[in-house]
Amino acid sequence: MAQEFIQWLSHPGLNHFLIISGILFSFGIFAVLTRRNAILVLMGIELILNAANINFIAFSRYGTGTLDGQVIAIFVIILAAAEAAIALAIVLNIYQNFNTVNVDELNQLRD
Amino acid sequence: MVEQLLQSLSRFLPETTLTVALCSTVVVSLFLGRKSQATLFVALAGLVLATWFSFDQMGVSETIFSGMVAVDPFSVFFKLLVGLSAILILLFSLYSSEVQSTLHRAGEYSALILAMALGMFLMAGASNLLMMVLAIELTSLSSYILAGYTREASDSSEASLKYIIYGAVSTGVMLYGISILYGLTGATDFYGINRALTEESVNSVALLVSIIMILVGFGYKISAVPFHFWTPDVYEGAPITITAFLSVASKAAGFALMMRFFKVSFIDANAVGLPTGVWTSLQGFEWNKIVAILSVLTMTLGNLVAVWQNNLKRLLAYSSIAHAGYMLMGVVVLSDKGLAAVLIYFMVYLFMNLGAFYVVMLVANKTGSEDIDSYKGLGHRSPLVSVAMVIFFISLAGLPPTAGFIGKLFLFAALLDATWIWLAVVGALNSVVSLYYYVRVVRNMFLRDPEGNAEPILFSTPQLAIVMLLLLPTLFFGLFYSPMVELANASVMMFGIR
Amino acid sequence: MLTEFGKVLLFLIVGAMFVAGGLIASWILRPNRPYPAKLSSYECGEEPVGNAWVRFNVRFYVIALIFLIFDVEVVFLFPWALVYRELGLFAFLEMAVFLAILLVGLAYVWVKGDLDWDKPVPQIPKIERDRPAYKQQTPAEPVAV
Repeated sequence: MAQEFIQWLSHPGLNHFLIISGILFSFGIFAVLTRRNAILVLMGIELILNAANINFIAFSRYGTGTLDGQVIAIFVIILAAAEAAIALAIVLNIYQNFNTVNVDELNQLRD
Repeated sequence: MVEQLLQSLSRFLPETTLTVALCSTVVVSLFLGRKSQATLFVALAGLVLATWFSFDQMGVSETIFSGMVAVDPFSVFFKLLVGLSAILILLFSLYSSEVQSTLHRAGEYSALILAMALGMFLMAGASNLLMMVLAIELTSLSSYILAGYTREASDSSEASLKYIIYGAVSTGVMLYGISILYGLTGATDFYGINRALTEESVNSVALLVSIIMILVGFGYKISAVPFHFWTPDVYEGAPITITAFLSVASKAAGFALMMRFFKVSFIDANAVGLPTGVWTSLQGFEWNKIVAILSVLTMTLGNLVAVWQNNLKRLLAYSSIAHAGYMLMGVVVLSDKGLAAVLIYFMVYLFMNLGAFYVVMLVANKTGSEDIDSYKGLGHRSPLVSVAMVIFFISLAGLPPTAGFIGKLFLFAALLDATWIWLAVVGALNSVVSLYYYVRVVRNMFLRDPEGNAEPILFSTPQLAIVMLLLLPTLFFGLFYSPMVELANASVMMFGIR
Repeated sequence: MLTEFGKVLLFLIVGAMFVAGGLIASWILRPNRPYPAKLSSYECGEEPVGNAWVRFNVRFYVIALIFLIFDVEVVFLFPWALVYRELGLFAFLEMAVFLAILLVGLAYVWVKGDLDWDKPVPQIPKIERDRPAYKQQTPAEPVAV
């Protein structure tokens, strides 16, 4: 049993990458749902994007044999950087206005 | 290869124009004085040109850049819609006190409006998963910044933080769904996905999961319940011009992309025995049932919560959620008639919703408040603008003889045609609820005495001219709707679909 | 017997065991007698001053944000370099347009002064104490460095 498991681990295939990306995606969603600090929420979002990236590259390598997935991954990296830059700028602005980056304490706008 | 790219570039003229205009606004803002409206006019010129070039593309039907972007009547229709609303928004900005008081950053403002318009132009045409994501992100990233444009105001920056967190999470989830879809079909363009799904059957659970994840992204973009949480806060906190732009153009582009994605990717090209203009989806995958549920949730929640709102921007935010629900009803019907009804609704919605937001902006400029109480007695203080507001509201509620009635009429006709009776009944009940909160504002304007200051509010001639520009189509299309219907029927044609 | 990835896996497992082994051994062997001086953070024998979480100057963030954007765009150059030979002049022009658009952004940032690093004016400490009467004169103005 243990022997088989080690054998399975040492021969990586599509499933390994899908499991890793699934775990990363769940961590990301978990961080987004439970963290109250805006920066940590943004980190969770980065995890989600990178999980998708792993999927794209794994499918491109093991699935179709085209490079489309890898090209998409490059674009997603850029996209994540642009999003992070804008989000951090907005968080800086929030800190100047509210003196906090806790998402729960921002409640000027509500029903 | 190179010839093909050059060929594509000539069909990419509207987008290229917008990019050039974007760069020139940035450069112009570097060389001009700090308090100048010049960049707004540069942006306006760029948008007029781009809209004109898309008008020129009418009747073309092809894909460019090896299937990345489709130029077909459907995309041209939405480009015109987005271009027109962006032009109107820039006209609003010339009279918005929020923009005029921060003229030293007008360069950024106009550049970002152009970037948003560019993103929406691409969304209208995108026929590839990568292009779809990039277009959505270009639109969203610019709108995050614009929502926090008045950065000294704390509610504006709070709005932009909430917007970017919801937006980034939903695009992340959408990307994950797209990666699964790519793994299932091995294709990135919509036509390739359709071929792959036609040729072999895929794991239906994985397909369902990926579609639901992709729907999260679309739902966020068109603010459908339960992905709507950002909408009221962002609409309230953002500058009114941006709120108006988000509520019309952003929603239109989101619908365009969603309709193209579902129709092109999941249409069963081999289905037989169907009347013309009706289609079925592949592999018995009934995504339109999911959309029907979304539609009911969206319009019901939007209308019920709008009843309790006291801030007019917030009220219009919930009303725009409800309108997204009505329009989703058209997507549920798998026929060209349903799509044409959505297109008609968008033409109408453009004028009536922008009109309502413009009046709110004008009043807020003078009274400094968007509260429903500050509208008490407005009918006596500023009769012309108040009457215009009443007409916009009647149209939003969908009563004759305004254009809003025509929009709803075609939607319900398409639903009844496809025997979605229960959905039509829910929609009709919702329209009745919506009447209540629109009438509440009207009652405040005409049947209540003004509190405190009761002096007449005067507006300048160009300001009133813009009101008229929006008011006349709202009335005109209510009576003479055939040109609108013909345009919509001609525009449901997507490239590569019979 | 083992694939290349198997060796990597083995390496990871052995590495993790080394770390865990060291920590567990010290946890078993060491006596547990904490006192304040021992719990304070080590600053080369000095008394620790303030919190370890120092707030950085906000300008670092602005520079970092700008760097982040321009740095990551370089990723596009790699696939471009791969197909450059096939596409020739057209690819060159295309990348020139791309870089020109980036340059407009850089110029904007530069002119708007977000790259300026204005030096803080040093606060020269003033000592408040009684001076002999013959030294009671106005001190020289602190010079900005």
